[in-house]
Amino acid sequence: MTFQTFSIPVYRKYLSILLLLFAGLIINAQDVTLTAISHPRGAPAIMKMSDLKSILKGEKQRWSDGTKVSIVLMKTNTSTGEITCQKIYSMSGDKVKRFWLGLSFSGKADAPTFCNSVAELESIVAQTPGAIGIIDKVSTGTGIKIIMVDGKNSF
Amino acid sequence: MPRLKSISIVCTLLVFICNSSGLYSQNTQIRGFVDALAGLQKGKVSFSLGEQDLFITSELSDRFSFLGESVFRFTNTTPTKFSVSIERVVIKYNIAGNHNILLGKHHTPINYWNDTYHHGRVLFPTIFRPLLFDANIIPLHTTGISLQGQNLGDMKFGYDLMVGNGIGSTDVLDNDKRKSITAAVHLKPVEGLRFGLSWYNDVITKGAATHDGMLLGWTVNQNLFTGSIAYFGDKFEVLAEGTTGTNKTDTTGSQHTTAAYIYTGFKIKEKIVPYLRLDNLHFGQGEIFYNKNNTTSIVAGIRYNINYVTALKLEYQHQHGEKEGDTNRLTMQLAIGF
Repeated sequence: MTFQTFSIPVYRKYLSILLLLFAGLIINAQDVTLTAISHPRGAPAIMKMSDLKSILKGEKQRWSDGTKVSIVLMKTNTSTGEITCQKIYSMSGDKVKRFWLGLSFSGKADAPTFCNSVAELESIVAQTPGAIGIIDKVSTGTGIKIIMVDGKNSF
Repeated sequence: MPRLKSISIVCTLLVFICNSSGLYSQNTQIRGFVDALAGLQKGKVSFSLGEQDLFITSELSDRFSFLGESVFRFTNTTPTKFSVSIERVVIKYNIAGNHNILLGKHHTPINYWNDTYHHGRVLFPTIFRPLLFDANIIPLHTTGISLQGQNLGDMKFGYDLMVGNGIGSTDVLDNDKRKSITAAVHLKPVEGLRFGLSWYNDVITKGAATHDGMLLGWTVNQNLFTGSIAYFGDKFEVLAEGTTGTNKTDTTGSQHTTAAYIYTGFKIKEKIVPYLRLDNLHFGQGEIFYNKNNTTSIVAGIRYNINYVTALKLEYQHQHGEKEGDTNRLTMQLAIGF
């Protein structure tokens, strides 16, 4: 009986902590928003989500101004990279890497540049005409522009 | 005047290349695949090395890129017991949008498997290639020039139009004046689904060696028609391809051969895929171009994708051939990418 009187409050306490953590995780996964950025040359300022997905799957070689499309992504083992894989590719990080391995091996597309940090990604995008990248914040970096996707700055 | 014309063409080409190069920083990547196998056949277990495949991709300029694929494999006839083969050397020039010109040695874009998996065993859905490859029904390689377009429009239409050295040629010299022609189209209407059709034509001169090394006693006009359906979704995988080959000579008339396979897989977990493949080879009576050996085969296996560059496969194959009768084998393969 001693066990019961002691354990119930403890059990409740830990259960509520677990529930809060779980709820936090759910909110976190839904709350993280991504932003598409690009070099001033190449990508349009406004884009549909379907077009963005198509571009990030290597289905477009050149922008309408003739600039070569270069894809820059966060590494799939970073939190932003993981969310990019879910939101853009609807795949796990491993599957995205396999997808790109197959595509580059068949010679159908150039593999993206994968970055360790947002700063590195922004720097590459700023230096590469035609580059497009995905980050987890509304960027304030110089030499880059934000692409509005389905009328929004982030998605 | 002809000399001036040649110089002006060379100068124009140089300006063209320099303009497209600009200050482009060259991005070169070297990657590869290798596999190791263990097999049980006729009561005996054997371990074997698969192919070691190296592929290089390089973005030479804004519009030029290069892809090379070389394979090192066991070959009993060489002093070192190994040989190196150049499987692909492709220089690509992007003309505009998604349209490219490709020059070099290609895997002939006749069907899905040949144009997708190449020698990347970790990417293969099964351990071995379908029988239509082993039976040399299609020309696996073509050295030549091609025009390629991909992901055009909402249906993601794609095309390949290739002119190359025909069957009996080498990678450096065509054995006759006639060129092989490959025309292929495909559609990708929804994610993961691809429909493809292709036509291959070549006139193969009398005396030329076929894929099987057989010397032809006649000049053969060959037409190959191929259809394919590929679907790789979250749960199901289906890949079906069929090729009909017509070999016509003035003396023997037309002979028709059909080769087909269907692969299907079902993901019981994200990384575990049990699969089946059925193969059928049916040669026309009096076939003069292929080595006639009507064959059927069933493959049942399971694939475990450990990670994106490591796959473990275990499969059983039962095969019935007109010449060799029934054969059975159990094979395990560990394929990796690096």
